Amino acid sequence: MRIDEHPVLSFERGEKINFFYNGQEIEAYPTETIAAALHAAGVRKLGESPELHRPRGLFCAIGNCSSCFMIVDGEPNMRVCVMKVRSGMRVEEQRGKGVVGI
Amino acid sequence: MKKSYDVVIIGGGIIGCSVAFELAKRGRKDVLVVEQEYLTSGATGRCGAGIRQQWGSMLNATLALESTHVFENLEEYTGYDGDCGLNQGGYLLIAYTEKEWEQFQKNLEIQHQVGINSHAVPLDCIKEIVPHINTDGIQGACFCASDGHADPFHCTYAYAKGAQGMGVEIVTYTKVTGLKVENGRIRGVATTRGDIEAKVVINATGGHAAQMAMLAGDELPIFPERHQILITEPVAHIMNPMVMSFHRHFYVQQTPHGSVIMGMGDPNEPVSLNTKASWQYLEHNAWVVTQTLPAFRNLRVVRQWAGHYDMSPDRNPIINEAKSAEGFITIAGFSGHGFMVAPRTAILVSNYLTGQQDSLDISRFSVERYKTGELLLEPSVV
Repeated sequence: MRIDEHPVLSFERGEKINFFYNGQEIEAYPTETIAAALHAAGVRKLGESPELHRPRGLFCAIGNCSSCFMIVDGEPNMRVCVMKVRSGMRVEEQRGKGVVGI
Repeated sequence: MKKSYDVVIIGGGIIGCSVAFELAKRGRKDVLVVEQEYLTSGATGRCGAGIRQQWGSMLNATLALESTHVFENLEEYTGYDGDCGLNQGGYLLIAYTEKEWEQFQKNLEIQHQVGINSHAVPLDCIKEIVPHINTDGIQGACFCASDGHADPFHCTYAYAKGAQGMGVEIVTYTKVTGLKVENGRIRGVATTRGDIEAKVVINATGGHAAQMAMLAGDELPIFPERHQILITEPVAHIMNPMVMSFHRHFYVQQTPHGSVIMGMGDPNEPVSLNTKASWQYLEHNAWVVTQTLPAFRNLRVVRQWAGHYDMSPDRNPIINEAKSAEGFITIAGFSGHGFMVAPRTAILVSNYLTGQQDSLDISRFSVERYKTGELLLEPSVV
Protein backbone atom coordinates (compact mmCIF):
# COMPACT_ATOMS: atom_id res chain seq x y z
CA MET A 1 0.00 0.00 0.00
CA ARG A 2 1.21 3.46 -0.90
CA ILE A 3 -0.47 6.81 -0.27
CA ASP A 4 -1.05 8.43 -3.65
CA GLU A 5 -2.98 11.53 -2.66
CA HIS A 6 -2.38 13.64 0.39
CA PRO A 7 -3.86 17.09 1.27
CA VAL A 8 -0.45 18.56 2.19
CA LEU A 9 2.34 16.35 0.83
CA SER A 10 3.11 15.67 -2.77
CA PHE A 11 4.97 12.59 -3.92
CA GLU A 12 7.68 12.65 -6.55
CA ARG A 13 8.60 9.02 -6.53
CA GLY A 14 10.71 8.83 -9.65
CA GLU A 15 11.24 5.82 -11.89
CA LYS A 16 10.61 2.34 -10.54
CA ILE A 17 13.58 0.17 -9.67
CA ASN A 18 13.98 -3.47 -8.63
CA PHE A 19 15.64 -4.98 -5.57
CA PHE A 20 15.73 -8.43 -4.02
CA TYR A 21 13.95 -9.60 -0.89
CA ASN A 22 15.09 -13.11 0.15
CA GLY A 23 16.12 -13.62 -3.46
CA GLN A 24 12.74 -12.55 -4.85
CA GLU A 25 12.61 -9.50 -7.10
CA ILE A 26 10.47 -6.62 -5.78
CA GLU A 27 9.56 -3.25 -7.32
CA ALA A 28 10.27 -0.05 -5.43
CA TYR A 29 10.81 3.67 -5.88
CA PRO A 30 14.31 5.02 -5.20
CA THR A 31 12.89 7.70 -2.90
CA GLU A 32 11.55 5.09 -0.47
CA THR A 33 13.15 3.36 2.47
CA ILE A 34 13.61 -0.42 2.25
CA ALA A 35 10.93 -0.81 4.93
CA ALA A 36 8.44 1.29 2.95
CA ALA A 37 9.08 -0.70 -0.22
CA LEU A 38 8.68 -4.02 1.61
CA HIS A 39 5.51 -2.76 3.31
CA ALA A 40 4.08 -1.73 -0.08
CA ALA A 41 4.87 -5.21 -1.35
CA GLY A 42 2.93 -6.74 1.55
CA VAL A 43 5.92 -7.92 3.59
CA ARG A 44 5.15 -7.50 7.29
CA LYS A 45 7.65 -9.81 8.97
CA LEU A 46 11.14 -8.38 8.63
CA GLY A 47 13.09 -10.67 10.96
CA GLU A 48 13.08 -12.83 14.05
CA SER A 49 13.91 -11.95 17.65
CA PRO A 50 17.32 -13.13 18.93
CA GLU A 51 16.24 -15.29 21.86
CA LEU A 52 12.78 -16.73 21.17
CA HIS A 53 12.73 -16.30 17.38
CA ARG A 54 9.43 -14.46 17.39
CA PRO A 55 8.50 -12.45 14.29
CA ARG A 56 9.68 -8.85 14.23
CA GLY A 57 8.36 -6.07 12.01
CA LEU A 58 8.27 -2.32 11.63
CA PHE A 59 7.93 -0.67 15.03
CA CYS A 60 9.38 2.80 15.60
CA ALA A 61 10.06 3.54 11.90
CA ILE A 62 12.58 6.26 12.82
CA GLY A 63 15.76 4.26 13.38
CA ASN A 64 15.64 3.98 17.16
CA CYS A 65 14.29 0.60 18.16
CA SER A 66 16.24 -2.10 16.26
CA SER A 67 13.03 -4.00 15.47
CA CYS A 68 13.57 -3.79 11.69
CA PHE A 69 17.12 -5.22 11.57
CA MET A 70 17.73 -6.99 8.27
CA ILE A 71 20.73 -8.21 6.29
CA VAL A 72 21.43 -5.74 3.47
CA ASP A 73 24.02 -6.75 0.87
CA GLY A 74 25.50 -9.19 3.38
CA GLU A 75 25.75 -6.66 6.20
CA PRO A 76 23.67 -7.61 9.29
CA ASN A 77 21.81 -5.35 11.73
CA MET A 78 20.76 -2.77 9.10
CA ARG A 79 17.89 -0.51 10.14
CA VAL A 80 15.79 -0.76 7.00
CA CYS A 81 13.26 1.84 8.23
CA VAL A 82 15.81 4.62 7.68
CA MET A 83 17.78 3.14 4.80
CA LYS A 84 16.93 4.10 1.22
CA VAL A 85 16.38 1.31 -1.25
CA ARG A 86 18.72 1.03 -4.25
CA SER A 87 18.49 -0.83 -7.50
CA GLY A 88 19.78 -4.41 -7.26
CA MET A 89 20.09 -4.30 -3.45
CA ARG A 90 19.89 -7.68 -1.72
CA VAL A 91 17.75 -7.58 1.40
CA GLU A 92 17.36 -10.67 3.55
CA GLU A 93 15.42 -11.56 6.63
CA GLN A 94 17.64 -11.69 9.74
CA ARG A 95 16.91 -14.61 12.03
CA GLY A 96 18.32 -13.75 15.43
CA LYS A 97 21.59 -11.96 16.06
CA GLY A 98 23.51 -10.62 13.11
CA VAL A 99 26.45 -12.66 11.90
CA VAL A 100 29.56 -10.58 11.33
CA GLY A 101 31.58 -11.64 8.29
CA ILE A 102 35.09 -12.86 9.10
CA MET B 1 21.12 0.46 60.76
CA LYS B 2 22.42 0.28 64.30
CA LYS B 3 24.63 2.79 66.14
CA SER B 4 27.52 0.41 66.53
CA TYR B 5 29.12 -2.44 64.58
CA ASP B 6 32.07 -4.73 64.94
CA VAL B 7 33.27 -3.96 61.40
CA VAL B 8 32.31 -1.14 59.04
CA ILE B 9 33.31 -1.55 55.40
CA ILE B 10 33.36 1.59 53.27
CA GLY B 11 32.64 0.81 49.64
CA GLY B 12 30.07 -1.49 48.02
CA GLY B 13 32.14 -2.83 45.15
CA ILE B 14 33.51 -6.30 44.63
CA ILE B 15 36.18 -5.77 47.32
CA GLY B 16 33.83 -4.42 50.00
CA CYS B 17 31.17 -7.05 49.38
CA SER B 18 33.57 -10.00 49.13
CA VAL B 19 35.33 -8.99 52.35
CA ALA B 20 31.93 -8.66 54.08
CA PHE B 21 31.01 -12.16 52.90
CA GLU B 22 34.30 -13.77 53.93
CA LEU B 23 34.22 -12.07 57.34
CA ALA B 24 30.68 -13.28 57.99
CA LYS B 25 31.66 -16.77 56.86
CA ARG B 26 34.38 -16.72 59.51
CA GLY B 27 31.94 -15.68 62.23
CA ARG B 28 32.40 -11.90 62.23
CA LYS B 29 28.82 -11.16 61.24
CA ASP B 30 28.28 -7.81 62.93
CA VAL B 31 29.31 -6.03 59.75
CA LEU B 32 27.97 -2.96 57.95
CA VAL B 33 28.80 -2.10 54.35
CA VAL B 34 28.40 1.62 53.59
CA GLU B 35 28.10 2.54 49.92
CA GLN B 36 27.86 6.16 48.75
CA GLU B 37 25.66 5.32 45.74
CA TYR B 38 24.52 1.80 44.82
CA LEU B 39 26.43 -1.50 44.85
CA THR B 40 28.91 -1.66 41.92
CA SER B 41 28.48 2.09 41.21
CA GLY B 42 32.23 2.69 41.26
CA ALA B 43 35.02 0.89 39.44
CA THR B 44 33.47 -2.59 39.77
CA GLY B 45 30.44 -1.80 37.64
CA ARG B 46 32.58 -0.02 35.05
CA CYS B 47 35.31 -2.60 34.67
CA GLY B 48 36.15 -4.99 31.84
CA ALA B 49 35.57 -7.88 34.26
CA GLY B 50 38.38 -10.00 32.89
CA ILE B 51 39.67 -12.93 34.90
CA ARG B 52 43.29 -13.53 33.98
CA GLN B 53 45.78 -15.92 35.50
CA GLN B 54 48.59 -15.13 33.07
CA TRP B 55 50.61 -12.91 35.37
CA GLY B 56 54.32 -12.25 35.54
CA SER B 57 54.82 -12.39 39.31
CA MET B 58 54.33 -15.36 41.58
CA LEU B 59 52.11 -13.39 43.91
CA ASN B 60 49.68 -12.15 41.27
CA ALA B 61 49.60 -15.52 39.53
CA THR B 62 48.71 -17.20 42.85
CA LEU B 63 46.07 -14.60 43.73
CA ALA B 64 44.50 -14.92 40.28
CA LEU B 65 44.63 -18.73 40.15
CA GLU B 66 42.98 -19.15 43.53
CA SER B 67 40.45 -16.40 42.76
CA THR B 68 39.54 -18.17 39.51
CA HIS B 69 38.73 -21.30 41.49
CA VAL B 70 36.28 -19.25 43.56
CA PHE B 71 34.73 -17.62 40.47
CA GLU B 72 34.21 -21.09 38.99
CA ASN B 73 31.81 -21.94 41.81
CA LEU B 74 30.73 -18.51 42.98
CA GLU B 75 26.97 -19.15 42.81
CA GLU B 76 27.23 -22.27 44.94
CA TYR B 77 29.86 -20.69 47.19
CA THR B 78 27.65 -17.71 48.04
CA GLY B 79 24.24 -19.38 47.67
CA TYR B 80 23.30 -17.01 44.85
CA ASP B 81 20.28 -17.90 42.71
CA GLY B 82 21.42 -15.88 39.70
CA ASP B 83 24.08 -16.55 37.08
CA CYS B 84 27.43 -14.81 37.60
CA GLY B 85 28.07 -14.98 33.85
CA LEU B 86 31.44 -16.68 34.04
CA ASN B 87 32.71 -17.44 30.55
CA GLN B 88 36.02 -19.27 30.56
CA GLY B 89 36.86 -18.71 26.94
CA GLY B 90 40.50 -18.10 27.75
CA TYR B 91 42.77 -15.10 27.37
CA LEU B 92 44.86 -14.67 24.25
CA LEU B 93 47.78 -12.37 25.04
CA ILE B 94 49.50 -11.11 21.93
CA ALA B 95 53.05 -9.73 21.82
CA TYR B 96 53.93 -7.06 19.27
CA THR B 97 57.57 -6.60 20.26
CA GLU B 98 60.49 -8.98 20.76
CA LYS B 99 60.93 -7.72 24.31
CA GLU B 100 57.30 -8.38 25.13
CA TRP B 101 57.54 -11.88 23.72
CA GLU B 102 60.62 -12.63 25.83
CA GLN B 103 58.73 -11.40 28.90
CA PHE B 104 55.78 -13.66 28.04
CA GLN B 105 58.08 -16.67 28.00
CA LYS B 106 59.46 -15.76 31.44
CA ASN B 107 55.91 -15.26 32.68
CA LEU B 108 54.92 -18.72 31.44
CA GLU B 109 57.62 -20.29 33.62
CA ILE B 110 56.25 -18.53 36.69
CA GLN B 111 52.69 -19.48 35.79
CA HIS B 112 53.68 -23.13 35.38
CA GLN B 113 55.37 -23.14 38.80
CA VAL B 114 52.09 -22.02 40.35
CA GLY B 115 50.10 -24.57 38.37
CA ILE B 116 48.42 -22.41 35.75
CA ASN B 117 47.67 -24.22 32.49
CA SER B 118 48.88 -21.47 30.16
CA HIS B 119 50.93 -22.13 27.04
CA ALA B 120 52.67 -20.39 24.17
CA VAL B 121 50.77 -20.39 20.88
CA PRO B 122 52.77 -20.88 17.67
CA LEU B 123 52.13 -18.05 15.21
CA ASP B 124 50.41 -20.30 12.69
CA CYS B 125 48.02 -21.56 15.38
CA ILE B 126 46.76 -18.18 16.60
CA LYS B 127 43.94 -18.25 14.06
CA GLU B 128 42.75 -21.55 15.49
CA ILE B 129 41.95 -19.70 18.71
CA VAL B 130 40.67 -16.44 17.16
CA PRO B 131 39.97 -17.11 13.46
CA HIS B 132 39.38 -13.47 12.53
CA ILE B 133 42.52 -11.98 14.09
CA ASN B 134 44.96 -10.02 11.93
CA THR B 135 48.34 -11.57 12.73
CA ASP B 136 50.41 -8.81 11.09
CA GLY B 137 53.15 -7.69 13.43
CA ILE B 138 52.43 -10.30 16.10
CA GLN B 139 55.66 -11.77 17.49
CA GLY B 140 54.08 -14.40 19.65
CA ALA B 141 51.06 -15.22 21.77
CA CYS B 142 50.10 -16.98 24.97
CA PHE B 143 46.84 -18.62 25.85
CA CYS B 144 45.26 -19.86 29.06
CA ALA B 145 41.99 -21.70 28.48
CA SER B 146 40.64 -21.26 32.01
CA ASP B 147 40.96 -17.46 31.94
CA GLY B 148 37.84 -15.58 31.00
CA HIS B 149 35.41 -12.97 32.17
CA ALA B 150 32.37 -12.76 34.43
CA ASP B 151 29.52 -10.38 35.09
CA PRO B 152 30.79 -7.86 37.67
CA PHE B 153 27.27 -6.90 38.78
CA HIS B 154 26.12 -10.46 39.47
CA CYS B 155 29.41 -11.37 41.15
CA THR B 156 29.13 -8.41 43.52
CA TYR B 157 25.47 -9.16 44.22
CA ALA B 158 26.30 -12.82 44.87
CA TYR B 159 28.74 -11.77 47.57
CA ALA B 160 26.40 -9.06 48.92
CA LYS B 161 23.38 -11.36 49.15
CA GLY B 162 25.46 -14.16 50.61
CA ALA B 163 26.74 -11.75 53.25
CA GLN B 164 23.27 -10.41 54.00
CA GLY B 165 22.03 -13.96 54.44
CA MET B 166 24.56 -14.36 57.27
CA GLY B 167 23.52 -11.11 58.97
CA VAL B 168 25.65 -8.45 57.29
CA GLU B 169 23.88 -5.13 56.75
CA ILE B 170 24.34 -3.01 53.65
CA VAL B 171 23.33 0.64 53.37
CA THR B 172 23.41 2.45 50.04
CA TYR B 173 23.28 6.16 49.17
CA THR B 174 25.15 6.85 52.40
CA LYS B 175 28.41 8.70 52.24
CA VAL B 176 31.19 8.47 54.79
CA THR B 177 32.14 12.04 55.64
CA GLY B 178 34.63 11.47 58.43
CA LEU B 179 36.57 8.91 60.43
CA LYS B 180 36.72 8.96 64.20
CA VAL B 181 40.18 8.20 65.59
CA GLU B 182 41.00 8.25 69.33
CA ASN B 183 44.37 7.46 70.92
CA GLY B 184 45.70 5.99 67.69
CA ARG B 185 42.73 3.66 67.24
CA ILE B 186 39.79 3.85 64.87
CA ARG B 187 36.50 4.31 66.73
CA GLY B 188 33.97 4.72 63.98
CA VAL B 189 32.78 6.63 60.96
CA ALA B 190 30.68 9.74 60.42
CA THR B 191 28.14 9.33 57.62
CA THR B 192 25.39 11.35 55.98
CA ARG B 193 23.03 9.19 58.05
CA GLY B 194 24.73 9.80 61.37
CA ASP B 195 27.74 8.49 63.28
CA ILE B 196 28.46 4.79 63.58
CA GLU B 197 30.87 3.22 66.04
CA ALA B 198 33.14 0.42 64.87
CA LYS B 199 36.09 -1.60 66.12
CA VAL B 200 37.45 -2.13 62.64
CA VAL B 201 36.93 0.07 59.58
CA ILE B 202 37.83 -1.19 56.12
CA ASN B 203 38.53 1.26 53.35
CA ALA B 204 37.52 -0.41 50.08
CA THR B 205 36.89 2.77 48.13
CA GLY B 206 39.09 2.18 45.08
CA GLY B 207 40.12 5.46 43.49
CA HIS B 208 38.89 7.36 46.54
CA ALA B 209 41.02 5.31 48.94
CA ALA B 210 43.78 7.88 49.46
CA GLN B 211 41.26 10.65 50.19
CA MET B 212 39.43 8.38 52.62
CA ALA B 213 42.64 7.31 54.38
CA MET B 214 43.63 10.97 54.81
CA LEU B 215 40.56 11.36 57.05
CA ALA B 216 42.33 9.00 59.45
CA GLY B 217 45.68 10.75 59.00
CA ASP B 218 47.05 7.94 56.84
CA GLU B 219 48.92 8.94 53.73
CA LEU B 220 48.74 6.34 50.95
CA PRO B 221 50.27 6.42 47.46
CA ILE B 222 47.04 5.47 45.69
CA PHE B 223 45.80 7.70 42.92
CA PRO B 224 42.79 7.48 40.60
CA GLU B 225 43.36 7.21 36.86
CA ARG B 226 40.56 7.37 34.32
CA HIS B 227 40.20 4.42 31.98
CA GLN B 228 37.64 4.29 29.22
CA ILE B 229 35.69 1.45 27.72
CA LEU B 230 32.93 0.91 25.18
CA ILE B 231 30.34 -1.69 24.22
CA THR B 232 28.88 -2.52 20.81
CA GLU B 233 25.57 -3.87 19.63
CA PRO B 234 25.19 -7.63 20.15
CA VAL B 235 26.06 -9.92 17.25
CA ALA B 236 26.35 -13.69 16.92
CA HIS B 237 29.29 -15.14 18.87
CA ILE B 238 32.54 -15.19 16.91
CA MET B 239 35.10 -14.73 19.66
CA ASN B 240 35.39 -16.80 22.79
CA PRO B 241 38.62 -15.58 24.41
CA MET B 242 39.54 -12.18 25.71
CA VAL B 243 42.17 -10.74 23.36
CA MET B 244 44.72 -8.49 24.97
CA SER B 245 47.81 -6.54 23.98
CA PHE B 246 50.04 -4.76 26.46
CA HIS B 247 51.94 -3.01 23.71
CA ARG B 248 48.78 -1.53 22.18
CA HIS B 249 47.16 -1.20 25.63
CA PHE B 250 43.83 -2.84 24.74
CA TYR B 251 41.60 -5.71 25.76
CA VAL B 252 38.56 -7.00 23.88
CA GLN B 253 35.95 -9.55 24.84
CA GLN B 254 32.60 -10.66 23.50
CA THR B 255 30.02 -11.07 26.27
CA PRO B 256 27.74 -14.13 26.35
CA HIS B 257 25.00 -11.77 25.11
CA GLY B 258 27.05 -11.01 21.97
CA SER B 259 28.08 -7.41 22.66
CA VAL B 260 31.76 -6.67 22.21
CA ILE B 261 33.38 -4.85 25.13
CA MET B 262 36.68 -3.14 24.43
CA GLY B 263 38.82 -1.02 26.71
CA MET B 264 42.09 0.79 26.43
CA GLY B 265 44.61 2.43 28.68
CA ASP B 266 46.16 5.76 27.83
CA PRO B 267 49.77 6.06 29.05
CA ASN B 268 49.37 9.87 29.20
CA GLU B 269 46.19 9.89 31.26
CA PRO B 270 46.54 12.40 34.12
CA VAL B 271 45.65 11.62 37.73
CA SER B 272 42.06 12.70 38.27
CA LEU B 273 38.64 11.66 39.50
CA ASN B 274 37.23 12.51 36.07
CA THR B 275 34.72 9.89 34.87
CA LYS B 276 33.70 11.58 31.64
CA ALA B 277 33.96 9.71 28.36
CA SER B 278 35.75 11.45 25.50
CA TRP B 279 35.13 11.37 21.74
CA GLN B 280 38.86 11.11 21.12
CA TYR B 281 38.85 7.81 22.95
CA LEU B 282 36.01 6.44 20.85
CA GLU B 283 37.85 7.09 17.59
CA HIS B 284 41.24 5.98 18.87
CA ASN B 285 40.03 2.78 20.51
CA ALA B 286 37.95 1.79 17.48
CA TRP B 287 40.92 2.36 15.19
CA VAL B 288 43.46 0.45 17.30
CA VAL B 289 41.24 -2.53 18.03
CA THR B 290 40.05 -2.97 14.45
CA GLN B 291 43.68 -3.11 13.30
CA THR B 292 43.96 -6.37 15.21
CA LEU B 293 40.35 -7.52 14.95
CA PRO B 294 39.04 -6.16 11.62
CA ALA B 295 35.85 -8.24 11.80
CA PHE B 296 34.50 -5.73 14.33
CA ARG B 297 34.98 -2.72 12.03
CA ASN B 298 31.31 -2.32 11.11
CA LEU B 299 29.83 -2.86 14.58
CA ARG B 300 27.90 0.04 16.01
CA VAL B 301 28.94 1.33 19.42
CA VAL B 302 25.97 1.61 21.74
CA ARG B 303 27.59 2.94 24.88
CA GLN B 304 30.86 4.32 26.14
CA TRP B 305 31.90 5.11 29.69
CA ALA B 306 34.83 5.67 32.01
CA GLY B 307 35.89 4.50 35.44
CA HIS B 308 38.88 4.65 37.74
CA TYR B 309 41.83 2.40 38.14
CA ASP B 310 43.09 2.79 41.71
CA MET B 311 46.76 3.00 40.84
CA SER B 312 49.64 2.25 43.19
CA PRO B 313 53.33 2.98 42.49
CA ASP B 314 54.18 -0.67 41.69
CA ARG B 315 50.79 -1.43 40.08
CA ASN B 316 49.83 -3.87 42.82
CA PRO B 317 47.35 -3.84 45.68
CA ILE B 318 47.97 -2.13 48.97
CA ILE B 319 46.52 -3.87 52.01
CA ASN B 320 47.55 -1.73 54.90
CA GLU B 321 46.58 -1.07 58.50
CA ALA B 322 47.08 2.62 59.25
CA LYS B 323 49.86 3.44 61.72
CA SER B 324 47.91 6.54 62.78
CA ALA B 325 44.69 4.58 63.36
CA GLU B 326 44.89 0.97 64.43
CA GLY B 327 41.96 -1.03 63.07
CA PHE B 328 41.66 1.10 59.93
CA ILE B 329 42.56 -1.11 57.00
CA THR B 330 42.80 0.03 53.43
CA ILE B 331 42.36 -2.51 50.62
CA ALA B 332 42.95 -0.64 47.37
CA GLY B 333 45.51 0.21 44.74
CA PHE B 334 44.62 -2.76 42.57
CA SER B 335 45.67 -0.82 39.47
CA GLY B 336 43.10 -2.31 37.15
CA HIS B 337 43.11 -5.93 38.28
CA GLY B 338 41.01 -5.77 41.45
CA PHE B 339 38.00 -7.64 40.16
CA MET B 340 39.90 -10.76 39.14
CA VAL B 341 41.79 -11.10 42.44
CA ALA B 342 38.97 -9.98 44.75
CA PRO B 343 37.89 -13.46 45.92
CA ARG B 344 41.34 -14.47 47.14
CA THR B 345 42.13 -10.99 48.51
CA ALA B 346 38.95 -11.09 50.58
CA ILE B 347 39.94 -14.48 51.98
CA LEU B 348 43.41 -13.16 52.84
CA VAL B 349 42.08 -10.07 54.63
CA SER B 350 39.37 -12.01 56.47
CA ASN B 351 41.86 -14.64 57.63
CA TYR B 352 44.00 -11.82 58.98
CA LEU B 353 41.09 -10.14 60.75
CA THR B 354 39.90 -13.37 62.34
CA GLY B 355 43.36 -14.51 63.36
CA GLN B 356 43.49 -17.46 61.00
CA GLN B 357 46.49 -18.70 59.08
CA ASP B 358 46.91 -18.00 55.41
CA SER B 359 49.40 -19.37 52.90
CA LEU B 360 50.05 -15.82 51.67
CA ASP B 361 51.84 -13.24 53.79
CA ILE B 362 49.57 -10.19 54.09
CA SER B 363 52.44 -7.97 55.24
CA ARG B 364 53.93 -8.08 51.73
CA PHE B 365 51.04 -5.87 50.61
CA SER B 366 51.62 -3.11 53.18
CA VAL B 367 52.89 0.34 52.20
CA GLU B 368 56.10 -0.46 54.05
CA ARG B 369 57.29 -2.02 50.80
CA TYR B 370 57.79 1.42 49.30
CA LYS B 371 60.26 2.23 52.09
CA THR B 372 62.07 -1.09 52.19
CA GLY B 373 62.13 -1.39 48.40
CA GLU B 374 60.52 -4.84 48.41
CA LEU B 375 58.17 -3.84 45.64
CA LEU B 376 55.66 -6.22 44.11
CA LEU B 377 56.86 -5.73 40.57
CA GLU B 378 54.50 -6.90 37.88
CA PRO B 379 55.59 -6.75 34.24
CA SER B 380 52.17 -7.48 32.71
CA VAL B 381 49.65 -4.72 33.35
CA VAL B 382 47.44 -2.97 30.77
